Amino acid sequence: MELDKLHQQWNSFPEMSMEERPVLSTDLEKMVVRNPLTDAFYLQKKLVVRIIAFTLLWLADGWLVRTQWLGDRKDIYFYAAFFLLLSFAIFFHLRLVLFADYPTLLGLPLVPFLGKLEIILDKYIASYKLVSAIASFSLLVLFEQWMARTNPLLFDAFLQRDWSKWLLLAFLMISFDILLMHTAIPRYRKLLETVRKYRQGITAAKARNEIWTIK
Amino acid sequence: MNNSTKSCADTDLRSLLKKQHKTVYSICRLFARTYKEHQRLFMDIISAASQNIRFRKAGVDKQTLMWRACINMAALHSITSTMDYAADREIKFKSPDYQRSMTDLSESIGNAGDYDKFLLFIDFESIDSNDLFGSVNRPTPQTAGSVQVIPYLKNKFVWS
Repeated sequence: MELDKLHQQWNSFPEMSMEERPVLSTDLEKMVVRNPLTDAFYLQKKLVVRIIAFTLLWLADGWLVRTQWLGDRKDIYFYAAFFLLLSFAIFFHLRLVLFADYPTLLGLPLVPFLGKLEIILDKYIASYKLVSAIASFSLLVLFEQWMARTNPLLFDAFLQRDWSKWLLLAFLMISFDILLMHTAIPRYRKLLETVRKYRQGITAAKARNEIWTIK
Repeated sequence: MNNSTKSCADTDLRSLLKKQHKTVYSICRLFARTYKEHQRLFMDIISAASQNIRFRKAGVDKQTLMWRACINMAALHSITSTMDYAADREIKFKSPDYQRSMTDLSESIGNAGDYDKFLLFIDFESIDSNDLFGSVNRPTPQTAGSVQVIPYLKNKFVWS
């Protein structure tokens, strides 16, 4: 029978040679402390860097909102909108880090593990929308701050035409979104599709196997 | 946890990994096609197993976490391989004996899917397969009287 032959082959595999060298204690010491996930699957570092960057921006924007509140309040809606966006982005990223729970992720059974990996990748791709919005706001804030210092008259004229600022913001957001969609996102999208197909394949094979076992 | 208990747990983890490393090597036969891949997958599994055991939650035993690490890392290896390489790559090992055994095994397995490979591994190494794959169907309790949440919003707010 084919399975018996396979079992025989399995048992007659060559013993440890240089090809399959035994684990030395020093190797084991190094192996137990390294991160088993590759960069594509391990997003914690990237998420933490983003959280730190967003928090710094949040503090800076908080200070600008306060200045606006105490001052003439001409531009307060803009800074308040940025403040809310940053608050949501920090919440979203923190939630993703807590949800991913990387130390225990690999301890899940295969199907839930792949399912969770899919959700993490999906949310990470979605987070690029927030990144493009924050980048647009940041650029506009920098532009405004620079203009206020170099040319106050032009800055006042810019503030009076409120709609032009929001239009510029929308244009920047769409531009950043398109840029990210063609640079950073495709590899994660491809990875997500592969993980999804793999999980579906495992699920289908498992379901088939369970039906055969019941029969 | 005091120092002596921690050191005892570490010794326990190392002895488990040392005891099981031949079984871990054996799953690599099914998924690796070169010496480099073989060694990398082996190291990844050992790292994953030690991480699982160090951060384990109550109710799951160490042995189960070890086998889950084997299966999950082999699955990740398979996913990255399908993205990076062609489907049928050449088997390349330095040792002629090992090369022959790998070629024979690969011919016997043929085009079997990864789930079948996992089942072969479980069967040949006499592993208890309970709790290794999880449920196929996600539990979605829906009673006739329950409140219907808008699917789009549900998808946005409920992640798992």
